[in-house]
Amino acid sequence: MDLKQRIKACLEQTAELANCQLLQPVTDDTVLLQSGLDSLGFAMLVAQLDEELGFDPFSEMEIAVYPRTFAEFVQMYQQYQQKHTGV
Amino acid sequence: MSKLVVVTGASRGLGLAICQQALQAGYRVLAIARTESSALQQLQSGNTALQFLAADLAQLDQLATLCSRISKDYGRPYALVNNAAMGNDGVLATMHNSDIAQLLTLNLEAPILLAKYLLRPMLLNQTGRIINISSIIARTGFNGLSVYAASKAGLEGFSKSLAREVGKAGITVNCVAPGYMQTDMTSSLQGEKLESIKRRSPLGRLATPDDAAAAVLYLLSEQASAVTGTVITVDAGSTA
Repeated sequence: MDLKQRIKACLEQTAELANCQLLQPVTDDTVLLQSGLDSLGFAMLVAQLDEELGFDPFSEMEIAVYPRTFAEFVQMYQQYQQKHTGV
Repeated sequence: MSKLVVVTGASRGLGLAICQQALQAGYRVLAIARTESSALQQLQSGNTALQFLAADLAQLDQLATLCSRISKDYGRPYALVNNAAMGNDGVLATMHNSDIAQLLTLNLEAPILLAKYLLRPMLLNQTGRIINISSIIARTGFNGLSVYAASKAGLEGFSKSLAREVGKAGITVNCVAPGYMQTDMTSSLQGEKLESIKRRSPLGRLATPDDAAAAVLYLLSEQASAVTGTVITVDAGSTA
């Protein structure tokens, strides 16, 4: 499973845990704030990804960046995955 | 496996009393302090439910890594007790800026960041407890403790808002505000000043670390699952 798929799977799992209804389908252009997941749900998603991937871009970045779309969110994780694994 | 409670400033005073009572209540305890005191070592001897982790919480940039290590090595924590603090006094007008910054870093910023990072595993568990140790000084004030009071009042405001933020996830956030207790932190309070505090207390005595620890244990318990965003004062009635 590539990183984008893992994030999407995590997103769905978190939405269930947070009792949020995701607007389907989630695409690259989906605006995160309009995806159906609330702000606490996003905190849970970041926590879940931190446990699964072993890194948290939001804690590592020097300046605060808030991705707007799902594609931007995935891209940010891809960048930090490269930093951590060199792949 | 029993629930894990993370206690900061655990080597002495109130932190040590919280560790003792939490162990007696059947929790696993991760005691954090800069160095391990002999009292904590003694408590730990033969008790595998108590683990010690050395950390300087004033190193804010290390806290994310520290919290990540806690979850990996000890499992997702059930509770965080933010007890570590410093209480150096001084008249504000002559207090060095570095002393002000140091106090706010340890007493306010560090607990906020620890809550931020240890809250995450609690969110995934959909249950948890955050207990911040405040002080009656947050609301009464005390000559020479203005910055300390600011840090504790800040913790109380922080706790109330955070309680609203994470309640939906089954996490409670509360403060325990002890009055004057005879601990190392208040050792400079002696003589007539100390006697006057005792006299003014309706119970005629000071609260002890064990009294305040008991309030923490209540907030940790299942029975306190409907208590959030509040401050429990343990001061032998001094502020009544």
